[in-house]
Amino acid sequence: MTTRLSLNAISKTFGKADNQTVVLRDISFSLDAGEFLAIEGPSGSGKSTLLNICGLIDHATHGDYYLNGTPVSQLSNRGRCACRRRKIGFIFQRHQLIPAMTVYDNIAYPLQLNNVKAKQIKHDVAQLLTTMGLEHRRNHHPYQLSGGERQRVGIARALIKRPQLVIADEPSASLDHTHAQAGLQLMRELNQTYGASFLIASHDPLVINHCDRKLTLLHGFLADPV
Amino acid sequence: MNGPLIALRNILRDGTRVISTLLIIATGLTALLVSGGFMLSTYDSLQEITMRTEGHLIVIDDTPDPLLGGSHQQLSLSNWQTIRESLWNDDRVLRVLPRARFEGVVSKGNRSAVFFGSGVDPKEEFRVHGPFLRTTAVLDPWPTSSQRAEVMLGVQLARTLDATSGDLLTLHAVRSNGESAEAVVRLVGLYQNGTPAIDNHTLMVTLSTSAALMGSDNISQLSIYLDKKEESAALQHSLQASIDGVTVQSWQQRATLYHKVKSLYDRIFGVMAVIILTVVFLAITNTISLAIYQRRSEIATLSALGTPPPQIYANFILEAFIISIAATTLGMLLAYAISHAINLAEIMMPAPPGKTEGYPIFIYISWHHYLVTSLVLIGIVILASLRSTCRAAKINIARAIS
Ligand SMILES: Nc1ncnc2c1ncn2[C@@H]1O[C@H](COP(=O)(O)OP(=O)(O)OP(=O)(O)O)[C@@H](O)[C@H]1O
Ligand SMILES: [Mg+2]
Repeated sequence: MTTRLSLNAISKTFGKADNQTVVLRDISFSLDAGEFLAIEGPSGSGKSTLLNICGLIDHATHGDYYLNGTPVSQLSNRGRCACRRRKIGFIFQRHQLIPAMTVYDNIAYPLQLNNVKAKQIKHDVAQLLTTMGLEHRRNHHPYQLSGGERQRVGIARALIKRPQLVIADEPSASLDHTHAQAGLQLMRELNQTYGASFLIASHDPLVINHCDRKLTLLHGFLADPV
Repeated sequence: MNGPLIALRNILRDGTRVISTLLIIATGLTALLVSGGFMLSTYDSLQEITMRTEGHLIVIDDTPDPLLGGSHQQLSLSNWQTIRESLWNDDRVLRVLPRARFEGVVSKGNRSAVFFGSGVDPKEEFRVHGPFLRTTAVLDPWPTSSQRAEVMLGVQLARTLDATSGDLLTLHAVRSNGESAEAVVRLVGLYQNGTPAIDNHTLMVTLSTSAALMGSDNISQLSIYLDKKEESAALQHSLQASIDGVTVQSWQQRATLYHKVKSLYDRIFGVMAVIILTVVFLAITNTISLAIYQRRSEIATLSALGTPPPQIYANFILEAFIISIAATTLGMLLAYAISHAINLAEIMMPAPPGKTEGYPIFIYISWHHYLVTSLVLIGIVILASLRSTCRAAKINIARAIS
């Protein structure tokens, strides 16, 4: 099995000199292609911070990070941006939908960014809307949706481009059991069809049990490093 | 995704902020257009005055330096009859008016005053001045009698002499050979051009009267009035080439007041324009920076999804562009309405320095002027939005999302 993601002695410190917060200390683990990995830990343990680094939207203070065997920690901003666009799907802790876009546009956006043909986009988005039970919300704006619906749109947006790596920060936080199941089901399909890898931070036993493996983060340390 | 539609939605989402931005741009544009329109109309009327008083082209004798002699040169143009006749066949020429300048003392009884006189073609002279020379006598026909020499006086000069229509006045002058000469003339009318310095000392007689007084058929200048002022340059060159011993000047060379006022107004307007454009620039920079701050989480999300930064800026610039199009449209409509209202209301300006009368404000409405000014303003808005979007690049994605 190929390694999708590998972290080597990653640490993260916020702030300068006399006001430093060390959030991640010496984190090393790897994620295989097609693997589901859960990260659990109490609030404030650094889960989001770790996910941000893995998703290339934050920099580690020390350590190396490889994506598909390529070192990406030293990549230019432009390179990181392209990498996020093509390879990574992000499910945010707080959905982060674009207010001026409809549900359809929000989901279609990553495909447009990757210059997918309009016809293909239409087809894919329509299909995903059905799977997520959102067809009737197609032309609604985020402010017209419930918290759970927004989260589902956020999940759809992350999965639509079939990324190699999906990073999900509390994806089930505002979902009921049924919709959480549906989301996980969809992730599993993507995983089985395309070999996508998942890195999921969660407190939810449903999600954690669904994963192949789990890591526990405690005060910035991995409790049982693999 | 439809870029302009998204931009429009973002604009509508931000109602109050957008309206204040819109009003700042529109007000700035209105101020520029109305004051610019006033300036343009002032230039135009000053050009018009010069063209009407001097003619579009002026033929003078070139032997003595005419500029050294000032405007009251000697009577030095001798072959003017021939030149005048040759011009009558030219379609471009409407009128050719001879003017003989002379000076001396005019007296009535025990009162006397220095005068600057012109011997003119009585039939045409008063027609060309149009609204810029107001007469207070019935001048059609002038001279009223072919037997007697007649004179028209500047209003102030008549007041100095305490002369009224029908009075007999004596003109005293010194001929070029040093002899002194006199002529008795009857006052038939008054005229006024609104500049006391001129109305105090000016008088007009027919060309035959001035020729008899000065003992010479020569004139000072031949003023040529054209059908279209655009043809002046071409005709100036061809006349200069075809007539020997004369200098052909264009009205621009005589338009000292026009040039002075223009350079003054250009500077005043320039400073004003810079101030207005700076205010607009700062206001836009401010509102867009605020918008970017308020929407930093959205910007961070777009960036996290892998949107290249220029595409993110493009959204904001597109929004600024749409706002500025709406604002300039509003500004142009406002300026049009205000200018039109001012023109209809015939609001009087107070008399400018050196003048006795005010004049109605007229605001030029020129679509060319409107378009160019609006484009400059739109450019400023885009520049301001470019500057503020550079800040969006500094947003820390992770922090803006959490
Ligand atoms: N920009 C920052 N500056 C300073 N400290 C920060 C910053 N961002 C996060 N932290 C700190 O890092 C720690 C970990 O934060 P993080 O958001 O990763 O926790 P988490 O495990 O995701 O918590 P939760 O389960 O509540 O989402 C927290 O103590 C937080 O205060
Ligand atoms: Mg978190």
